[in-house]
Amino acid sequence: MEYGNTAIIFMVIAVVACALGLTFFGVYYLNKIVDQNAREGSSGRQT
Amino acid sequence: MHLIPQSASHFHLLLSIFPSIGLIFVLGFYVTAFATDDAAAKRSCLVLFGLLGLLAIPTYVSGDRSMAVLSQDPKISQDLMSTHFGWGVTSLALLVLTAAAALIELWRSRRAERVSNDALHLVLGLALVTLALMVITGEVGWEINHHELRLDPATQRTPQAWSHVHVILNHFPTVGFVFALLFYIAALVMNNVVMKRASLVVFVICAILGVPTYVTGAASMWALTGVPGISRAVINAHRDMAVWTLFGLAFTGVTAWIELWRFRHLGRFSNRSLYLVLAFAIITLGVMAETGHRGGQINHPEIRVATDTLPTDPKAGLSAAIESLINHVIWFVPWQTVHFFGFSLIFGTALAISLRVLGFWKSMPFSAVHRILPLGVFGVVMNVFSGMLILFADSSRYLNATTFAPKTAFITIGAIAVLYFSLSERLWTVKAGEDAPMSAKWVAALVLLSWAGVIMGGRLIGYV
Repeated sequence: MEYGNTAIIFMVIAVVACALGLTFFGVYYLNKIVDQNAREGSSGRQT
Repeated sequence: MHLIPQSASHFHLLLSIFPSIGLIFVLGFYVTAFATDDAAAKRSCLVLFGLLGLLAIPTYVSGDRSMAVLSQDPKISQDLMSTHFGWGVTSLALLVLTAAAALIELWRSRRAERVSNDALHLVLGLALVTLALMVITGEVGWEINHHELRLDPATQRTPQAWSHVHVILNHFPTVGFVFALLFYIAALVMNNVVMKRASLVVFVICAILGVPTYVTGAASMWALTGVPGISRAVINAHRDMAVWTLFGLAFTGVTAWIELWRFRHLGRFSNRSLYLVLAFAIITLGVMAETGHRGGQINHPEIRVATDTLPTDPKAGLSAAIESLINHVIWFVPWQTVHFFGFSLIFGTALAISLRVLGFWKSMPFSAVHRILPLGVFGVVMNVFSGMLILFADSSRYLNATTFAPKTAFITIGAIAVLYFSLSERLWTVKAGEDAPMSAKWVAALVLLSWAGVIMGGRLIGYV
């Protein structure tokens, strides 16, 4: 099956957006947990 | 296919990897126990040494019976079997001695708060000598049955070194998970932080080792394709499970690493996350057991039983489906693009953290740059997944490229070295304006060089 350029570009954007979206959400979420904990002041660790 | 051994040969194949590969992991835990001077970890290691010693008996008995079966096969070298037997008996005897020393010390110190350092050093010395003998035993043992190690290198489709490495490496994630799980469960029961961190590190290392294991496995597949007596359909069935194993290793490795990263910042573990790691590890071990069993079916006709129905269609299964799908440009190009983004994330993160360690941006404490580390780790996950798909597209060409082997080695070295950033106590306490310790600078240089090597190795495929 042949695909046009538009279909390929759409797929590239879709796959990359999903991969980067998940990655940035993961990093944001993990850092949010650390920030939340630092605000609560329960860790006593250097963050 | 049956997982429970129904013959001495099958039992020996399954069991014999534990005293050798298992010893490496127990030694790793033991060295950690020494480095952290943690009494509970030391005692747990002594118990594990004892367990390994107990395994020596069934390993010997099953090996002896396996020899009797294999000696009727004209294709099996009697000399190799005799050499393997000689080294095997010696190493198992030494293993029993190591286990005896460990158990005696454990019993002797049952009421004392500390175990004797002299005894611990004796166990360490005996274990190291045992390991050296086990390496020789294992190497000779693997040559008995593995066709790919005896083929003429000139006629092989992929370099023989790949197949040789796969035969050795594939046991590390499996056995590593068994021992990491034992140690981890003990850590959860005893609520011991050192043991929890050590087990999480082993889960991550096993996950990283999954990458070269998978890559070398693809090379072994090409080496064995077309060899008389070897079925490509059986190889593909093994490869199908290997894909699921890679997913399992990724889930376990990433959740374990996140917990190590979080521990650095919060100073405590989340129980929910620890049990999530446990669940992933148990499921992954189950998947790996089936993968290993299917791998064993490739080269070991002696473990097959009459009720086994081996696959016959080489075009059936998950791997064959992915192979045909990824060769369409609409699937290949997006994943290749993700692969490049992954490299950008990994190298960008490694560069920022390594430069701080090497002395740049001293106004920031190390803990501040440590926060961006997940970005690089998620980049690794992106690349393991996209890399696996890309490899499916034209594995023979990639595996025969001169720079693919160093690229794979650099991925392993670079990924394991990054663990240092989340484990080193000295590095963690580097405050704003302070210089990182020299050991950390060496690790930072190694991380940078490794990931630069990965990118260059990948880019040069097809050109040199």
